Amino acid sequence: MNSASQPSGLKLLAGVHLRQHWRRLKGVMSQSRLLSATILFFLMGYCWLSFAIFHRAMRFIGSFPGLGDLLIERMLFLLFAFLFALLLISNLVITYSNLFRNRETNFLHSLPMHPNTIFQWKFLESTVVASWAFIFLIAPMLAAYGLVEQVDWTFYPMTCLLILQFVILPGFAGAWAAIALARYMDRRAFQYTLLAIGLVTLAALAFWLKAEQVTDDMLETRVMLVLDRLLRNTQFSQFAFLPSYWLATAVISWSEGASSATLFFILVLLSYGLFLGGVTMTFPGSPFYEAASAVQSRGSGMGWPGLRFRRHRRSHSNDFGSGGWLHALLSLPWWIPLESRAVLIKDIRVFWRDTSQWGQSLLLFGLLAAYIINLKNFSAQLNNPFWIHLIAYLNLGACSLNLATLTTRFVFPQFSLEGKRLWIVGMAPIGLNKVIQIKYTLATLISLLVTGSLIVLSCYMLRMPWTQALYFTLVILVMSLTLNGLAMGLGVIYPNFKEDNPSKIVSGFGGTFCLVLSFLYIVGTILILAVGSPWAQQARPLTTGIAWVLFGMLSLGIGYLPYRLGVRRLKYLEI
Amino acid sequence: MIELRGLVKTFGDLRAVDGIDLTIGQGEFFAVLGPNAAGKTTTIKMMVGLIKPTEGSAVVAGYDIQQSPLDARKRLAYVPDFPFLYDKLTPLEFMQFTGQLFNIDPDKVRHQGAELARRFHLDAFLNKSIEGLSHGTRQRVAIASALLHDPEVFVIDEPMVGLDPQHARIVKDILKERSGQGMTVFLSTHQLSVAEELADRIGIIHQGRLVAVGTARELRDQSGRDEALESSFLRLTTESTESSEPEPTQPA
Repeated sequence: MNSASQPSGLKLLAGVHLRQHWRRLKGVMSQSRLLSATILFFLMGYCWLSFAIFHRAMRFIGSFPGLGDLLIERMLFLLFAFLFALLLISNLVITYSNLFRNRETNFLHSLPMHPNTIFQWKFLESTVVASWAFIFLIAPMLAAYGLVEQVDWTFYPMTCLLILQFVILPGFAGAWAAIALARYMDRRAFQYTLLAIGLVTLAALAFWLKAEQVTDDMLETRVMLVLDRLLRNTQFSQFAFLPSYWLATAVISWSEGASSATLFFILVLLSYGLFLGGVTMTFPGSPFYEAASAVQSRGSGMGWPGLRFRRHRRSHSNDFGSGGWLHALLSLPWWIPLESRAVLIKDIRVFWRDTSQWGQSLLLFGLLAAYIINLKNFSAQLNNPFWIHLIAYLNLGACSLNLATLTTRFVFPQFSLEGKRLWIVGMAPIGLNKVIQIKYTLATLISLLVTGSLIVLSCYMLRMPWTQALYFTLVILVMSLTLNGLAMGLGVIYPNFKEDNPSKIVSGFGGTFCLVLSFLYIVGTILILAVGSPWAQQARPLTTGIAWVLFGMLSLGIGYLPYRLGVRRLKYLEI
Repeated sequence: MIELRGLVKTFGDLRAVDGIDLTIGQGEFFAVLGPNAAGKTTTIKMMVGLIKPTEGSAVVAGYDIQQSPLDARKRLAYVPDFPFLYDKLTPLEFMQFTGQLFNIDPDKVRHQGAELARRFHLDAFLNKSIEGLSHGTRQRVAIASALLHDPEVFVIDEPMVGLDPQHARIVKDILKERSGQGMTVFLSTHQLSVAEELADRIGIIHQGRLVAVGTARELRDQSGRDEALESSFLRLTTESTESSEPEPTQPA
């Protein structure tokens, strides 16, 4: 043994992982320069667009006489408070998976490595993974804020320091919560709890932040009162013990030249960071090991009585002839062949039993639904058709962006995951083409059910006539067909049969390409349709017609073409 | 070298491991057999400290795995049925990483690594990315890396899965050779021929209990009939099922 020059375990793990990531990046770069350039262009485009929108919005809001600064400040407080909540959730979920559902962690546990070291590494890894999107989201916003407030250059490095101090706090909280949950709760119970917390939070927020009805009379005579009422419900974001409050106050104070106030909040963030960091980096070894052992020891037999009952019942249903209510339901459309029905039932069951799939979909569309339902409180003021149509197009954009996230996350990896089961599905006489077709149909139907309902609801809340509602429904129909076709097609063209984890399949080259193309398609579609809108001030039937032809061609090119190419590739597929 | 004392593991109402007492001496090659879900892997996981026993203790190389886990693991090597390897590293880099983790002198890693690579026929793959290697080659990389620090106790779960006959022979020979040099081997397998060929003693686990321990001959002799190990195994596991109380059905 060589005790003199032993490198620390943390250093060793960091070295191995850096090397792995570097090789992965090199691999991606060497696959296709064009695609790498597209992704880079997309990222830069996102930063620029996001910055431009924030900049314009802040300048617009800042121009309200006497209220501009107040509104911008409140926006910052609110944004950081919401992002703090999201960071807490993402840290919890990512740290839980990284600590307790990770093959590397099990491997490291069998080596002479202290559980503290394993925990420290996994904590750092999880915090980085959970926080990068936050930094990516707020960087353009803070740059825009700096420009609007005409700050000096010191604002930017100071903000970076503050953000680093800030993101570590939800990391600590998420890590301890993950250990506690792993120790006392099984995976399914954990997923259901998380979902329940998410829904309750959503409902509470929807209730708490419910927009109040404002009459035209009030807008004309009592603006301050209205403003006060509108802002009253957002005061929670200025609760002095919220880390997001410390961050927002420090950022605002520095921009105003109040360096002592900034210093105070830097020290507050630092003291919490050091205290929690000291506790988290020193003591978690034993509770972490206990929790890891509990997770490994827990078959799926533990959990809550309700869950246990359900599984108990399922394990006793040994009658091969009975397929349950789903089977009975899908037997009603008699024209569906038996083998197609089998794949359909299997896919629906897998979707239903994978809490993360429908949980994420529910949260994403739930947020959108909460927003759309609240539109009724504003629609009374929306007398100008321009604003009504603008909001309708923005809703269409938001809905399709949500859909694109979900098709990339869940539809794209479908074929790769099926590849693992190719010994049964691929070898069955149904044929892979048919399997892909069934998956595409099912995904599109589910997407349409959700997005179509939301768009109809949006039009209803905006009090639009049924012809216009039909127009937007038709658009979302075409977009759903296209986005699902794109995700399914690219999933076949860029399969990854080595991975079991869908999120890792998506994070590869094909998944990123799918996401980029989906976003470009949505932006292109909204722009084309908005320019050729039949309700524009100088609308002409020819412009509308051209817009629809372009929309149709774009949809065929982005949706149908990759799908056809994918299906064609199946003929030559070698696994 | 390995002492399991009253080892119990319960999952909810199920006793997956039900009071195993076993002592395995230095240099002994011990094979454990058992039907699926008998409790073999759970026993191994408790032995290497991946999970805590509900009752009892496991002492490896003189150290209680729960009381002194790091001391025990320095002297222990564990290769699961599907070992984790860093996909983007090469076998050479992985072995260097393992060497550093076990604090082995770099010269020794170089020398021993080269020797193990030669013995396991890994020379041609040393600088290839692990992600491109076959299951059998990955298995050999894992076993070679686990042997790098000259463990006193070697625990291996289903080592022959994915190995072709030639490489299976190599793995068997090396494990037997190391056992002869004083390394204690605890091998879990479904292949009765492997156990019969290599093991000094064989244990049969069924429904969480160690229902029989002995040499292959002793196990055959227990029946009083001149029968193959397979027949003894089947009889022991069947008898044990019939004689035991029916298990309460567990949620799947």
